[in-house]
Amino acid sequence: MGNTIVTSILSMAGLGFFFASLLAFVNQKLAVKEDPKIGKIEEALPGINCGACGYTSCHLYAEALAKGEANPAECKAGGDSVSGLLSGILGVAVEKRTKQIALVHCGADGSVRKKKAVYFGINTCAAANNVSGGENLCGYSCFGYGDCMRVCPFGAIEMKDALPRIDKEKCTACGKCVLACPRDIITVEKIAAKNFIFVTCNNPERGPDTRKACSVGCIACGLCQKFTGGVFHVENNLALVKYDNMARISNTEEVRGKCPTKCIARL
Amino acid sequence: MIANLVLIFIAATITQNFVLTYFLGVCPFIGVSRKIEHALGMGAATTFVMTLAAMVTWLIYHLVLMRFGLPFLQYVAFIIVIASLVQIVEMFIRKTSPTLYRALGIYLPLITTNCAILGLTLFMVLREYTFLESVIFGLGAGAGFTLALVIMAGIREELECCDIPKPLEGAGITLIIAGFLALSFMGFGGLISR
Repeated sequence: MGNTIVTSILSMAGLGFFFASLLAFVNQKLAVKEDPKIGKIEEALPGINCGACGYTSCHLYAEALAKGEANPAECKAGGDSVSGLLSGILGVAVEKRTKQIALVHCGADGSVRKKKAVYFGINTCAAANNVSGGENLCGYSCFGYGDCMRVCPFGAIEMKDALPRIDKEKCTACGKCVLACPRDIITVEKIAAKNFIFVTCNNPERGPDTRKACSVGCIACGLCQKFTGGVFHVENNLALVKYDNMARISNTEEVRGKCPTKCIARL
Repeated sequence: MIANLVLIFIAATITQNFVLTYFLGVCPFIGVSRKIEHALGMGAATTFVMTLAAMVTWLIYHLVLMRFGLPFLQYVAFIIVIASLVQIVEMFIRKTSPTLYRALGIYLPLITTNCAILGLTLFMVLREYTFLESVIFGLGAGAGFTLALVIMAGIREELECCDIPKPLEGAGITLIIAGFLALSFMGFGGLISR
């Protein structure tokens, strides 16, 4: 009896000691030397793995930064505060970037939108788009099922009257919503001026056709082109904007007032 | 001899599937069966650890515990073996293949406390398998675990688009489906008669 107690204690202690020393040995032998910078950089990064920097995860971006292969200004999600932290860790200067924001190029909310059919199905824009282009009369309009809202890692998108509203403080221009929208309604643009206006329509059909499909669509009348001195220009029956020249427009409210279908919005 | 090994493999994979017959390892079965890709990763990692654990615990049991007449210590000894083994495997993968580490990394610590592994080693002792039989048993059990996980992940991927009653969403419906799967796996019971 006493013998069993002794052998069991000894063998368990031996086994424990054996595995402990094996683990210690292996830990020494197979230690992975990681640049201590990587850990620091990763802490500074937002860690949401949005992929806007071109790397699949924040960890990979941190590795590339530590090696000096990546630009510390690439982290769009973190914005200037993170770039500042990164430049501190890496010891390099980071130039300031112009604020970027996602813009929704459709202004037809649930009350205005005309329908050609009633859609019953999975409540996502991607699914609705697959069923003969969805229920809306306009083939370029927002579905309003909020795929962009669900994909936004920052909670910057809110659905109101079946249209996405983008919170300009929370939006980091990561571009996830641009990819999620099956209709390519959302774009990411530089906010180059204080009074920023943009066109809330994406319909390239001829004026009368657009008007039939939607009461707030761009009918390509060209009035905005005249009043902005070419910053807005009509191309393919749609008003496009040279966002870099936005500061040249003296009175943005006047331009908005001139638009007959009221499809120019303020940020 | 070979027929016996094949039998052990098939038994461990299908007729006596660890998850669907013995209900071992149900935690990762529910937790990591959302996507086929992750299910495959978890399955591969578990198969690997199961085979290794079967080898090492067989050696420990027969060379240490039996020699000193201490078979009652098998639980403690096996847990030590499995835990340290998983640690070593994790370190080894981290050193040799960072890509594989990133793919399996999160699953490896989960396996340490996976009861399917301890179950495997205890069955191995109970059924008095030889060394080779134990290795095949470990491989088969791992393959069976992977099979169950992948089937479940496939069903759950389809389930994402289904209209499930609110109280049954998530784990509830998963357990019900696990029950159905177990029932259908019972049909394989006649495959091997022993």
